[in-house]
Amino acid sequence: MECRNDGCPRTHEDDIMDIPLDDPEANKAAAKIQASFRGHMTRKRMKEDKPREEVRASAELG
Amino acid sequence: MAPKKDAKAAPAKKAEPAKAAAPAPEPDVVAAPPPLDLSTVKVEFTPDQQEDYKEAFGLFDRVGDAKVAYNQVADIMRALGQNPTNKEVRKVLGNPSDEDMAAKRLEFEAFLPMLQHIVNDPNKGTFDDYVEGLRVFDKEGNGTVMGAELRIVLGTLGEKMTEAEIDALMQGQEDENGSINFEAFVKHIMSI
Repeated sequence: MECRNDGCPRTHEDDIMDIPLDDPEANKAAAKIQASFRGHMTRKRMKEDKPREEVRASAELG
Repeated sequence: MAPKKDAKAAPAKKAEPAKAAAPAPEPDVVAAPPPLDLSTVKVEFTPDQQEDYKEAFGLFDRVGDAKVAYNQVADIMRALGQNPTNKEVRKVLGNPSDEDMAAKRLEFEAFLPMLQHIVNDPNKGTFDDYVEGLRVFDKEGNGTVMGAELRIVLGTLGEKMTEAEIDALMQGQEDENGSINFEAFVKHIMSI
């Protein structure tokens, strides 16, 4: 793992990338992306639950 | 005195360390936004749409009182195709406390204008927004991000995701090198 030239000891995680923790724009962009991910996962979960509901309903009708 | 305008260089928005970073003379860049007035929101959904929404709403009612808990509202909106941030949902709920989020319940008629407001949001994320957002982390400029880096970003920035959420999201997305083609990733995310 390459260390920076300034010789300042950093943790492994700092070396992985410069995470702009305090940058409001980066946080805003991250929040937007996270919102789309959460939306996707909720819809995926509901989709996976739905077929079971439909099978049960049609079983009751039959 | 003539105002000093630098016509040549058009500086991009610089991230200033000062608290009120507002280079443009915008008076309403304040910490606390005005409370949301939902009474002005006109519900424009068709009767068919409202029926669908009511059905989805009903799926979340575990108590049987034709209401849902405040802390379920975000998921109902997501189920109905929206991608609000948790902050936006709290705002539309009137910025309830954590206790209110867990205890208060909402009926469908009150939910509709909230959903309409989210649907109407002009700042809604688009495919390009998400791609450009991820491109920030594309160190090599080759259309990919390292899965490991994305995991860190998702867990430390914005509305932090839990490890379980991140695992569920990233399942099967990284190639053999641990990289993710983010355009394909965003397409996949938006396909559902």
